[in-house]
Amino acid sequence: MNVTLNWLKNYIDFELSPSELADRLTMLGIEVESVKELGAELKGIVVGSVTAIQPHPNADKLVLCQVDVGETEELQIVCGAPNVREGMRAPVATIGATLPIGLTIKRAKLRGETSQGMLCSEKELGLSEDAAGLMELSPDTPLGTSLSEALGLDDIVFELEITPNRPDCLSLIGVAREIRAETGNALKLPPVDLKEDETDIQKTTSVTIEAPDLCPRYAARVIRGVKVGQSPAWLQQRLESVGVGVINNIVDITNFVLMEYGQPLHAFDYHKLAENRIVVRRAVENENITTLDEVERDLAPDMLVIADAEKPVALAGIMGGYDSEITETTADVLLESAYFNPSSIRATAKTLGISTEASYRFERGADPGAVLAALDRATQLIAELAGGSICKGVVDVYPGEQPLHQIQFRPERVNFILGTAIEATEMAEILSDLGFEVKADGTENYQVTVPTFRSDLTREIDLIEEIARVYGYDNIPTTLPKGDIPVPAPNPSTEVRKRIKHFLLAAGMMEAINYSFCDPNCFDKIRFAAEHPLRDVLKLQNPLSPEMSVLRTTLLPNLLENAQHNRNHQIDTIALFEIGSVFIRNGAEKEPERVTGILAGQVGDGVYSNPYREPDFYDIKGLVEGILEVCGIVDYTLEKTDAPTFHPGRNAAVLSSNKQIGIFGEAHPEVLENYDLPYKAYLFDFDMEALVDAAIFTKRFEPIPVYPKVERDLAIVVDKEVLSDMPTGLIYATGGELVESVRLFDVYEGEQVPEGKKSLAYAITYHSATETLTDKAVNALHNKVVKHLNQELGAELRM
Amino acid sequence: MKAELQAIQAEALAALKSVETPAALESLRITYFGRRGKLTDVMKGMGNLSKEARPEIGKLANEVRSTLTQAFEAATEALHHQQQEQQLAAESVDITLPGRKPAYGKAHPIMQTLERIEAIFRQMGFEVVTGPDVETEYYNFDALNTPADHPARDLHDTFYLTDGHLLRTHNSPVQIRAMENQKPPVRIIVPGKCYRVDYDVSHTPMFHQVEGLLVDTRVTFSDLKGVLTSFARQMFGDQTQMRFRPHFFPFTEPSAEMDISCAVCEGKGCRSCGGTGWVEILGAGAVDPAVFEAVNYDPDEVTGFAFGIGVERIANLQFRIPDMRTLYENDLRFLRQF
Repeated sequence: MNVTLNWLKNYIDFELSPSELADRLTMLGIEVESVKELGAELKGIVVGSVTAIQPHPNADKLVLCQVDVGETEELQIVCGAPNVREGMRAPVATIGATLPIGLTIKRAKLRGETSQGMLCSEKELGLSEDAAGLMELSPDTPLGTSLSEALGLDDIVFELEITPNRPDCLSLIGVAREIRAETGNALKLPPVDLKEDETDIQKTTSVTIEAPDLCPRYAARVIRGVKVGQSPAWLQQRLESVGVGVINNIVDITNFVLMEYGQPLHAFDYHKLAENRIVVRRAVENENITTLDEVERDLAPDMLVIADAEKPVALAGIMGGYDSEITETTADVLLESAYFNPSSIRATAKTLGISTEASYRFERGADPGAVLAALDRATQLIAELAGGSICKGVVDVYPGEQPLHQIQFRPERVNFILGTAIEATEMAEILSDLGFEVKADGTENYQVTVPTFRSDLTREIDLIEEIARVYGYDNIPTTLPKGDIPVPAPNPSTEVRKRIKHFLLAAGMMEAINYSFCDPNCFDKIRFAAEHPLRDVLKLQNPLSPEMSVLRTTLLPNLLENAQHNRNHQIDTIALFEIGSVFIRNGAEKEPERVTGILAGQVGDGVYSNPYREPDFYDIKGLVEGILEVCGIVDYTLEKTDAPTFHPGRNAAVLSSNKQIGIFGEAHPEVLENYDLPYKAYLFDFDMEALVDAAIFTKRFEPIPVYPKVERDLAIVVDKEVLSDMPTGLIYATGGELVESVRLFDVYEGEQVPEGKKSLAYAITYHSATETLTDKAVNALHNKVVKHLNQELGAELRM
Repeated sequence: MKAELQAIQAEALAALKSVETPAALESLRITYFGRRGKLTDVMKGMGNLSKEARPEIGKLANEVRSTLTQAFEAATEALHHQQQEQQLAAESVDITLPGRKPAYGKAHPIMQTLERIEAIFRQMGFEVVTGPDVETEYYNFDALNTPADHPARDLHDTFYLTDGHLLRTHNSPVQIRAMENQKPPVRIIVPGKCYRVDYDVSHTPMFHQVEGLLVDTRVTFSDLKGVLTSFARQMFGDQTQMRFRPHFFPFTEPSAEMDISCAVCEGKGCRSCGGTGWVEILGAGAVDPAVFEAVNYDPDEVTGFAFGIGVERIANLQFRIPDMRTLYENDLRFLRQF
């Protein structure tokens, strides 16, 4: 909401500079988002009078004007405006001024004649679209004064952020009350002195409230014989200064009082009301109304309407009806001032998708106590500015009158909650300055009565906040909590996550974070079959776009998209991982965490010492082995799978205790195609919880070998189908404790070995924990290994 | 014989001077010390000397042998040194050729910031707990004193799921879950993702928060100021000014926002702080009694405070990323920068 400095000063005196006021309001909880000088754009524009006009010697369409701007010397200004004439007063942009349209005025020669400024149109000053001629100022405008002052624009606008609990501050008087709490100065409420005529209002109209739960109070006045027209300049300026559009005097007055009191008002054309009376009721089935914005709206039976004897004439507290609005022909006005149930207004406004200044205030809670004051203030302004005669009396139906909130207030509790040592008397003073009634209750405590404009305050804690903010958060001490520090439960998943992340970063993988949303089409791209369980997604009711319309059930599409994005931007060293949740419908665990990675394009950094190369299956497998190692997972097996996203011959599931904990491998060529990747991509995808379950962190010291080890190489030729870990396992099994390690250092298929065979070369390290192995012992063992390899796998020694 | 010994010494020392290779040195050594070497021959001839001459000549012979041995050792040493010098000179590398740098990855900038925040609060005794992203209206709003018709719901533009759940709009629901599951004292932080319907240069529909909650029997608003001041000092440095401003959150009272002095203009006021000299970094407040009632804590027995830190906002004070959406594109040129 916007307020201006000069306007505020109508309701309270204060000596604060604009920046001081902004600071104080902010520290009271009314955040000032911006402070703008209204006339700032019109700097250097002054009021001038054209004293003489001569033709321009070199141009038909231009004239030479002598302009008096209140200085000793008159200015010569070249002008081409059609309406320029001697004696007129118009805005003069003096040398050095910059017009809102961006033009800076310089001393210039126009067709050979000196021009010492510029006479301006409204358009050139950014005041309107009128470019037809010079802006005419009234002949009594003082010469040489700044235009902004002459137009009443020399004001400061504060843009305020009003939190939802403070509807009372959605008004000038409300903000003035806060300044009262800050300064202790008195409020100056607008004086109201109504001159009513002899006609009793009761004879002109009536108000019936059929839904007192939704409309606790409804008041009305009738003003007859008004003349609808333009508002006076001061009123237009006030509204425009805070960004409210100008319509006609009656509507402008209701808006003006809305800004003053925060009380929305509505003016009806009295004669458009059937039987000239008001019925406040719920809408009935199939009813509708055309609102002021000329939209026909269907009404539901839970919506509150203002009706006349026959039909709805307004959406209560939200928007008036088109048929009963004030027009140029309106003579008699019924003016409404009411208090509506906030929830009801909120629900209706939301259902219909309308938000107005009125609904914004009613749904936050207007002040039922301001209903009459605002009504009378507007009535008086209408009588003053639009003429008309005020019917005697007011209709005020108030079925929902509530006793004021009484709150027991314990100063000791305030100091306990805040950690302060504020005197009780100081607290009482703060509450009084906020407009509350404070009574000592005979003990050290107080009984506080909350005025109607602070319906947000119902509990002692609410008052404590009031004390805190007026006392000043800055004045509250800074201390550290004294209590015991709770002992956190051990969290193995934090440890696993940390280890995996450190490993992957150290291995050159970059961490990605993707949105939790994804495109439902992504499952096609990663080749999930129609019945794949991960297609069962949680859908958003209100997605930002179809591409972000479901919650992800796998991280693979996100990372493939990241690879695609990078590839499209010519980045081909793709190594990314993400640790994040997926969202499983109807699962026992609904948001399992995954750790998923992608390797594609090239590895290495392409320099002379570290050339690029394409990654392969064993790069991704290495990463997987590293993940398992940092988790202490030693006992696992690999198994090829038919997972649709992967190359059928180049993928493996990782199983621990016969349970799949993850999968890795080369992406299926169709997947690559779907993501426009011109090269192979390798993926791993693990379930974090399964990793945590399988992880082993206990470590025991193992003696460091003291006896020398003996290394023997062994090259064997086996059938191509033999997997490399079969000989490895057999070597360990044969050698027992004496085999320290088996390292496969070469795999060969080709001319040197027979068709259908391959050669595997192992380096076997023999070692005994208890003695130095003799050559003889090692030879015997090694020969046994060779024999077993031959018996079990048909392995031949390769010479 | 004496003259012979002296001649051998002079001759050998002279020859050593011109030796340039280990092979020449070795052949020279053989010339004098070999089985048929010149010195060896002389030594062999010692037996033929008279008893009287023997001590004098023997002494001289020992001196010559010792001198020459030392000279040969010195020559060997010098030659070795010279050779090593030559080798080292030959092995000189082009130090401007690129290094073979091990690949290394970087944590996402948001995670870097998140981890720093976590570390500071862990040190102050806060335990890290998490909660689900998919939440119910109850945990996200109702239990946090934000009933369905509360205007504060407008502050959160919520993503709803078709099954009636929603994506949490803040991490505060975990406050409720934590208090439901444990008795006071509670001292937790909740890092994680939350969601609001918002997508422009300064907003992404998914973002990160660190929620904090401290509940005990004697927690005061001044403690809130203390903990958050300590956090800000550690996060932003000792020079940072800070202020607490009254604000409104349905689930805290009194509520506050915390500002720190703008690092760009040092508090003078500039474009990045909207001219105020201050930058908002978090929301906080004393836990509202209604929240305690929702979790069956007795508001007369316990007090507490809660806070919520926007990780993207904190990250961007440092990184100054002009378009927040860049954060989640995972462009490697972007990720490499942090």
